[in-house]
Amino acid sequence: MIDTYRNLDWDYYGPELIDALWETIHMVMVAFAISAWIGLTLGLLLYTTRAGGLLANAAVFWTVNFLVNTIRPIPFIILIAALQPVTIQLLGTGIGNTAVIHAMVWASSFGIARIVEQNLVTIDPGVVEAARAMGASRLRIIFTVILPEAFGPLILGFTFVIIAMIDMSALAGIVGGGGLGNFAIVEGYQRFRPEVTWLAVAAVIVMVHLLQILGNLGARKVLRR
Amino acid sequence: MSAENTADVRAGGAPLIEFRNVTRTFTTGKSSSVTAVDDVSFSVAPGEVYGVIGFSGAGKSTLIRLINGLERPTSGTITVLGREISRLSESKLRHVRSRIGMVFQQFNLFQSRNVAGNVAYPLKVAGWSKAERELRVQELLEFVGLADKAKAYPEQLSGGQKQRVGIARALAAKPDILLADESTSALDPSTTGEVLRLLRRANEELGITIVAITHEMEVIRSIADRVAVMDKGKIVEEGHVYDIFSNPRDHGEITFVGSALKDRPTAEDLSRIRQHTSGRLVTVSLKDSATVGAVLGSAAEHGVTFEIVHGGMNTTKNASFGLLTLALEGESQAVQQFVDSLKAAGPVQEVREGQEAQK
Ligand SMILES: Nc1ncnc2c1ncn2[C@@H]1O[C@H](COP(=O)(O)OP(=O)(O)OP(=O)(O)O)[C@@H](O)[C@H]1O
Ligand SMILES: [Mg+2]
Repeated sequence: MIDTYRNLDWDYYGPELIDALWETIHMVMVAFAISAWIGLTLGLLLYTTRAGGLLANAAVFWTVNFLVNTIRPIPFIILIAALQPVTIQLLGTGIGNTAVIHAMVWASSFGIARIVEQNLVTIDPGVVEAARAMGASRLRIIFTVILPEAFGPLILGFTFVIIAMIDMSALAGIVGGGGLGNFAIVEGYQRFRPEVTWLAVAAVIVMVHLLQILGNLGARKVLRR
Repeated sequence: MSAENTADVRAGGAPLIEFRNVTRTFTTGKSSSVTAVDDVSFSVAPGEVYGVIGFSGAGKSTLIRLINGLERPTSGTITVLGREISRLSESKLRHVRSRIGMVFQQFNLFQSRNVAGNVAYPLKVAGWSKAERELRVQELLEFVGLADKAKAYPEQLSGGQKQRVGIARALAAKPDILLADESTSALDPSTTGEVLRLLRRANEELGITIVAITHEMEVIRSIADRVAVMDKGKIVEEGHVYDIFSNPRDHGEITFVGSALKDRPTAEDLSRIRQHTSGRLVTVSLKDSATVGAVLGSAAEHGVTFEIVHGGMNTTKNASFGLLTLALEGESQAVQQFVDSLKAAGPVQEVREGQEAQK
């Protein structure tokens, strides 16, 4: 097996693999940079507008909740196809990495919304009550109590989402995008070269492990445990 | 503006907190509701420590949360620091809240902030500068004896230390009123004493008016000036701690105070007592224990013998009180005379067996 890899045409596969890796990282980073904010906002809305919440508002809660429940279960491959008309309207093109990033933003924003909501509901309502009793405004409470109190679990939640996004980005090849998924299918699977496919697998595994280690370190630092 | 009002209120000696016919009803289902606070009226004067005691579910927490507007009354008016808070908008309410500190049973410290950060939070809310905040935090941590723990996080503190941080945080913005909801219920007896001493110092040294809610008689006894007894949403007894605890009341109800103090014999106590004495049973208040002692000392002169069959002494913030149940034997005439002289020394209640016995 070692020989298989020693004899591989590294001059060709090496740069290809690195390009694919960068494309994956690029897609995930751009999509996450956008969806993190949208998801955080939606998650905060879900948490604060629920009955008994700081900004309790049944109409807003119901709308956001409905949106999240509608979009989140759509399988990503179907979402890419279904969103294509919107993608073309919005970005002028329906294919390539940009189109995939667009679909990833939709899928992950609503996923993040749920994760944020789930982490926020575990905050002790007592600390929110304490801040209210001190005369803090609702916005101040959201930014200086609720988010800091949930910061540790949020880091872990976001780590989980980024890893799920690496998974999504693997489907980019469908609409002419690149990245590790495309590399594995085009260079490996379709050319009957499993050892090339496994290069992509190895790259993904290393990336996921590194991310999880970083996430755990960050959460541990914030949670002090 | 709220500062001016505060000054007026203090100068005039008018109540700092006043409830008039306040009711708070919670809807619990389509057609069911719970009246947690039921037509309650009371007032608290500046500098006073007002205790509220009652069984679980009596509505004490709801009552205290009405004071800083965390809960809104269904009907009635609530005036705090000269403002009718039941009518204030949430943003106006914030001004009043910043003049009221609150201490919680579960401490409710911010886990994401260290001790200094917790104490500084209300100061940030009140708009203090960084330099002012640092000075004040230092001062407060010294007041509660935790100057060495400024950098510690809540999970590194014991329960008593957490509550001291809670008190420092509640006192930080120099409030006029301190609300304490079961501030010692999560603590062991020795730590309870520590926290109660701190509350008392806040009242005596800083002049802060305190409303303390509790189900522990101990708390009322050691810090309260006046006490209200709550039962099923209503205030059923109210008065100076000393009076409430030391007067045997004649209405024969099973009062919270009575049952918590175990100061009068129960039906079982009575049947046990009756096994060895047939004398007349009376309960005498030890409001003026020296005089009662003198009368007891003269029993022989009256031709009466007595036996102490139940009772004991307790100590409040600034006095002692207690009830003694005596079995008196002798000529019924002599016993009557003896009882009359006891009555001159303090309230006396006949123990009526069977119907009167306390649970
Ligand atoms: N938000 C709420 N919704 C519905 N019912 C409530 C609510 N808050 C309190 N109650 C009810 O009101 C009553 C009084 O509750 P409250 O918490 O004021 O009692 P408490 O005297 O503080 O009791 P404890 O000593 O157990 O803390 C209870 O029957 C409780 O179930
Ligand atoms: Mg309570």
